[in-house]
Amino acid sequence: MTPAGSVAEAAPETQALGSKAVVIEVKGLSKTYFRGKEKLDVLRDLSLTAHEGEFIALMGPSGSGKTTLLNIIAGLDRPSSGSVRVAGADLAGMSDSALAGFRAANVGFIFQTYNLLPVLTARENVELPLLLTSLGSAERRRRAETALKVVGLSERMDHYPRQLSGGQEQRVTIARAIVTDPKLIVADEPTGDLDRDSADEILSLLRKLQTEFKKTIIMVTHDPAAAESAGTVHHLDKGKFK
Amino acid sequence: MNLASLAARNVLRNKLRTVLTVLGVAVAILAFVLLRTVIWSWTVSAEYAAKDRVATRHKITFISPLPVRYKTQIEQIPGVTHVTWASWFGAKHPTRESDFFQSIAVDPPSFMAVYDEIILPAAQREKWLSNRQGALVGESLAKQFGWKVGDRVTLAGTIYPGDWQFDVDAIYTVKRSSLDKASLMFHWDYLNDSIDARRKDEAGWFISRVKNAGDAANTAKRIDTLFDDQDAQTLSMDEHAMNASFLGMFSAVLTAIDLVSIVILVIMMLILGNTIAMGVRERTNEYGMLRALGFLPKHIASFVLLEAMVVGLCGGGVGLLLAYPVVEQGLGRFLEENMGAMFPYFHVDAPIAGLALVLSVALGLVAAIVPAYQASKLNVVDSLRRVG
Amino acid sequence: MLLMIPLSYNLRSLVARKGTTLASAFGIALVVFVLSSSLMLSGGIKKTMGSSGRSENAIVLRKGADSELSSTFETRLINLILAAPGVKKDETGAPLGGGEAVIVIAVEKAGTPGKIANVQVRGVSDNVLKMRPEVKLIEGRLPQAGTDEVMLGKSVRGRYTGVDLNLSFELKKNRKVQVVGIFDAGGSSFESEIWAGVDTVKSSFGREGLVSSVTVQLESGSKYDAFKATVESDKQLGLQSFRESEYYSKISSGTATFVSAIGIVITVFFSIGAMIGAAITMYAAVAQRRREIGTLQALGFTRRAVLGSMLVESIVLATVGGLVGAVASLFMGFVKISMMNFATWQEVSFSFTPDPAQILISLALGGVMGVLGGFFPALSASRTNPVIAMRA
Repeated sequence: MTPAGSVAEAAPETQALGSKAVVIEVKGLSKTYFRGKEKLDVLRDLSLTAHEGEFIALMGPSGSGKTTLLNIIAGLDRPSSGSVRVAGADLAGMSDSALAGFRAANVGFIFQTYNLLPVLTARENVELPLLLTSLGSAERRRRAETALKVVGLSERMDHYPRQLSGGQEQRVTIARAIVTDPKLIVADEPTGDLDRDSADEILSLLRKLQTEFKKTIIMVTHDPAAAESAGTVHHLDKGKFK
Repeated sequence: MNLASLAARNVLRNKLRTVLTVLGVAVAILAFVLLRTVIWSWTVSAEYAAKDRVATRHKITFISPLPVRYKTQIEQIPGVTHVTWASWFGAKHPTRESDFFQSIAVDPPSFMAVYDEIILPAAQREKWLSNRQGALVGESLAKQFGWKVGDRVTLAGTIYPGDWQFDVDAIYTVKRSSLDKASLMFHWDYLNDSIDARRKDEAGWFISRVKNAGDAANTAKRIDTLFDDQDAQTLSMDEHAMNASFLGMFSAVLTAIDLVSIVILVIMMLILGNTIAMGVRERTNEYGMLRALGFLPKHIASFVLLEAMVVGLCGGGVGLLLAYPVVEQGLGRFLEENMGAMFPYFHVDAPIAGLALVLSVALGLVAAIVPAYQASKLNVVDSLRRVG
Repeated sequence: MLLMIPLSYNLRSLVARKGTTLASAFGIALVVFVLSSSLMLSGGIKKTMGSSGRSENAIVLRKGADSELSSTFETRLINLILAAPGVKKDETGAPLGGGEAVIVIAVEKAGTPGKIANVQVRGVSDNVLKMRPEVKLIEGRLPQAGTDEVMLGKSVRGRYTGVDLNLSFELKKNRKVQVVGIFDAGGSSFESEIWAGVDTVKSSFGREGLVSSVTVQLESGSKYDAFKATVESDKQLGLQSFRESEYYSKISSGTATFVSAIGIVITVFFSIGAMIGAAITMYAAVAQRRREIGTLQALGFTRRAVLGSMLVESIVLATVGGLVGAVASLFMGFVKISMMNFATWQEVSFSFTPDPAQILISLALGGVMGVLGGFFPALSASRTNPVIAMRA
């Protein structure tokens, strides 16, 4: 449990704040949806800071706004008011196409399901984000293979998603999330569909990314074990940190 | 792997649906090619008509003949190199009455001069020219009735009643498509000598050859002016115009077939569009994921459009693969042999095949425009929402 | 006991998937429309040509000719024919029959300069209306015997440049004829003809002493055989006779068959397309509703019930589409098209004639397409494993 508005330092892996770059800076963030005449305040005046190498978990009941917060930080959605700076970019004022470019360069995504395209092999799925760069096909393959090596799935490179288990699919997803070497990894319920053993595998992989590769990870989860893997946990309720 | 190959591979997602769609497009293309070939084959006579020939018939009704002596007068017109005439005979095969074919009485020497596209062996040519009862038969017609050089055949006359005997002296083919290979020509003298005095010395129509194709229209006018004050006035047109006006009589049928061939394309677009729309609806999550990764709306739209074009292309390819045997081996053989007069050349014309292929791709594109646009406009966050 | 899934489930499902339901129904409607229309046109051709000519009339042509156009024989034979047994006499005791001379002339189509059509001109004898009671004057007056006055069948007026009531046009050079009347002929092909006096036609076209045909009215249809035997007995005369109705049926059969054939070929292609479209839609529907179907099975409905239910849905869809197509085709009844009758080279107006049997056939086709297109998807639905379906 952490006091409202501050960042908790629970896990031993984190180091002194001052030496690390600030990757996420959210100030006074509010998000309101209008459904007809009805006004829904999904996020209210939130502030959050994250440094390079932090692993943050967002938890809370359904409707608490955690996914919305994640989406805004990831550059998938814009705030109604407040400021959001991620990896040095000011997201609040960016156009849709600018946000797309931002995401391609700086964010790696891991969703709960529907991550992989069934008609592509594991390696081709990992290559997908690289299609947005100007790299040639040989270089793209090389990087994809490297990423798959990191997650330990080299021998399954040419398998299709239907030939992989749930855990393996998520590992491929993680490989895809790091193939462009982004500053931020965004995960929405990455272990939601997995059994305990696979879930643990995924979580240890994520920790590896954090420690070995200095990736900043922000994750939405219902899984207490996942929250435990993260260095910092924020609880949201009705759009505010608890 | 690139955007295009990804789009192409997407067709493999739901194999059953793709197969059905490709089949649907293929059937539509097959039908389209068939119908357009019917129209083309029917009208090809007008297209391929000789531009340097002028046909002259009775002005009021083609039933009325013209005096044969008109020939010498037409010959005098400057620019006219040869003149010949022909009379419709209307023979029927005694046992195969419903197999319509063209039979005409001609003046062989001048006929061969005007219709120089006729090819036949020199020996047969000599034989035919010298035998008053001889018949010159087109090779398709000979095949249809199983006639060979040297056969004596009996035909039933309709306009000139009775049984008429001919010797098949020569079988011809043509070096240009301006004449069909399904006609029978025999000596006009043979006819003229056998009919009663009242109908003698008449020609059904005249055909003149002009030196320059550009003079055809003027020559036609001059011929008509020449006979304007005579009892039997004439109507002359270059062969192209004559064939076109003949086809004009069938315009209702041709228009209907034309219309149907377009409706078929619309149906094809509906099937294709429906399939693509279904695919788009099912892949909302995926499109959201791709947008999250940084793909732009235009990329999403391209996926959809490319996929549609690939399916269209496959369907078009399969359709053409089916069309060739059906049109050429199946229907084509049947029509050329049994209705050779109306469909002298029934095969898949390369431009029609090319058009069909282009249309299958282009219409696939058009059918997918709305689904592609809708897919590109999806809100990223909404599409990522978990379903169910 | 086979527990049937209530129909309301199917109906509501169809309404819920409005877009795809409409697309599939439209495809089927189109097929039924095409089949029904082409059958209607073919029927219209048969009716027009068929109602041309009565079974108690007989027509005599020269032997070997396949239509009036290619038939000519001498006028001296007319009396021989009129004297044959079975020919009805009018109130004066004169035989009801006469020679006719038929030619086809080229006229310009109204509104499209340069495009010509062939119109049949029939030179008729003075007592023609007594022989053909179905012909009635509807405007103007009858042409006077022995003059160059003519009357037009009602389909002719307005179609050709310069050919209309109170106008005169040239039958041939320096031979003007005056149009004085318009006649109705009960929908037969006579309505597409111009009727002039037989002598006018003969003298205009150098046919003095010749006629194309002789038409007689018989005392009754049963007298035909005796009449025919007499006319054809003398081979030297070289004549053949037909019942008028048979003759017109014969010369239209080629065209009617051609239209039917094209209609059927097109229908076959359209049907295949519509069935494929329906199958695609039904497969998608089944895929979308797996969970529902699983639930229905869990509730106790058997596989067969599911199969039946999906088939019924398919059939309902096809029937609705078919009805729409059939009704739409009835509107074609207001359309008349002019086409060339192949056998006689004349342009004849045909209408689309609805016929209950044809409509039923077309609807049946719709139903068949629904069953065929929906069968495999329905089978797939019935093979749903409820446990797997409901877990998804």
